[in-house]
Amino acid sequence: MPTLIRAEGLTKYYRRPRRYEGAFGGLRTLITRQYDEVRAVDGVDFTVSDGELVGYLGPNGAGKSTTIKMMTGVLVPTGGLIEVDGTAPWRDREKNAMHIGVVFGQRSQLWWDLPLVDSFTLLGKMYRMSEADYRRRLDGFIDLLDLGPFLDRPVRQLSLGQRMRGDLAAAMLHEPSILYLDEPTIGLDAVARDRMRDFIAEMNRESGTTIVLTTHDLVDVEALCNRVVFIDKGRVLYDGSVVDLKATYAPHRTLVVQLASGFTAARAAELLGPEVPGDVIADEGPTLRIRFEANRISAQEIISAVTSRCPVTDLSLVEPELEDVMRTLYGNRTIAV
Amino acid sequence: MGSMRMTFLLYRAAVRGEMQYRLNFVMLLALGLVYQGSGIAFVWTVLRTFDTIAGWNFGELAFLYSLRLMAHAVWVVPFHQLVSMDTTIREGRFDRYLVRPLNPFLQIITSRFRMNVIGDVMAAVILFTIAVNLVDIDFSPLSVAYLVLAVVGGALAEGAAAVVVSSLSFRSVQTWAASQLVDNIYLMFGSYPTRVFGGALTWGLTWVLPVAVVAYIPSSVLLDKTDSLHLSAPAAVAAPLIGVLWFGAAYKWWRVRMRGYQSVGA
Repeated sequence: MPTLIRAEGLTKYYRRPRRYEGAFGGLRTLITRQYDEVRAVDGVDFTVSDGELVGYLGPNGAGKSTTIKMMTGVLVPTGGLIEVDGTAPWRDREKNAMHIGVVFGQRSQLWWDLPLVDSFTLLGKMYRMSEADYRRRLDGFIDLLDLGPFLDRPVRQLSLGQRMRGDLAAAMLHEPSILYLDEPTIGLDAVARDRMRDFIAEMNRESGTTIVLTTHDLVDVEALCNRVVFIDKGRVLYDGSVVDLKATYAPHRTLVVQLASGFTAARAAELLGPEVPGDVIADEGPTLRIRFEANRISAQEIISAVTSRCPVTDLSLVEPELEDVMRTLYGNRTIAV
Repeated sequence: MGSMRMTFLLYRAAVRGEMQYRLNFVMLLALGLVYQGSGIAFVWTVLRTFDTIAGWNFGELAFLYSLRLMAHAVWVVPFHQLVSMDTTIREGRFDRYLVRPLNPFLQIITSRFRMNVIGDVMAAVILFTIAVNLVDIDFSPLSVAYLVLAVVGGALAEGAAAVVVSSLSFRSVQTWAASQLVDNIYLMFGSYPTRVFGGALTWGLTWVLPVAVVAYIPSSVLLDKTDSLHLSAPAAVAAPLIGVLWFGAAYKWWRVRMRGYQSVGA
């Protein structure tokens, strides 16, 4: 697959005029030559191939949005190289804009006071779509995202889920080859999230749209991305598959056992003894937790060890979460530095 | 011209959006009329008190004042959204304009349409109609053409200052007060014969901030009063061009500043 996006030593330092408080503070801010410098992105390298669906992850303030803004042409890099389809987005901003779709999860691009369909009409014209193309694409999205029931309703009256569907259609209307999604599932309920994920996966699979996704939701990542780039403090910490990421940084799963009444967790822990490989955490009362490494022992073995020794009413398995991965990654970084 | 058509469509959408709030629409219209009307009433009172100001009689002063209003209206109808560019940037909406294949400047000015500007237009047209009947102007095709040019040049002269002020918001500065200041300078100093403010100020209001070129100089040309101007008659005739040049330079400057845009968040 040919490389579509290339970042080499990509850097963005924010220089903000120093702010002054008090009387004439605004005026001093205006004329000051003093700057505060923030290194938001500090030498990032990665490539994205045509047709990939990449998760771009990191904690708040890691530099995710800044990187997206440089890829989309919103920001001019301080240094390094950013190339999208062979051109620098910030230099050929409008040309780049023709081939990309962007969804900022927290900010709608739809015309607030107008019926949803009006936003599509305006965007169709702005991207110079032919009437036939516009009709075909819009009809497709009305089907796929079930926009029909609220197409004629003013955007300000839509629910967040409906609005996000509208925003997705708006971003994809002109058939962009790359779709940037900046926290697209933020604030959505479970049903809306699923629907959003299905749509994103379909766009990638059926139309071959290259997708760069930032999110804080590991379920998004696991459902969608085969590859993740993890950054923190403006640097890439990890670039590879999700499976490897979790195996490396969050290898632990936890078995939660509900014991039959009258049987305490402390007693169960005693019975299990050191035979069970893993950390046995005994709460007060009838709940027992066993934390184990998924690549050392299978869940099956642990479950049979527990059920053969203790009366069990319920079992559940807790998968590692993104937070665990994050914690481990931060830990490693601190040690590495 | 694809951009021109797109700009028109966006304006139309903005007006339609505004019409959704009918009561607000009516109130804003009334506000615009009352605001401009009270300004005119004040001038009327002042002008009635004096026979002449700096050699300008009542009718001529009304003509000058209304020419300023016309230029202001022509500027403010398409461009007034520049005033809230700092809010646009602070709320992160400018990012969106940059990822669309259309000039961000056009997207800013078409992002809303505030109905009170219709009040500015109505006030300008009403006063101009009255003033034209009070002065003795020979409306030849040439002088009508010059009048149109003067209004456009004046609009661009005021627009240039507003464009420069709005460009400061790329530096994440709130510019509401600065744009109010500019608005008031044009209103206070642009609506009277600039000469009354003294030599230094007259020079500054011509060459530093293009205020005198909005109405004072063109109405001197139209009323045949160029001999009392602070610049030669041919230069006075060319005054509308100063507005055009200023606006061109201001827009260039705005584009340069846009390169330094840093967005919000991180």
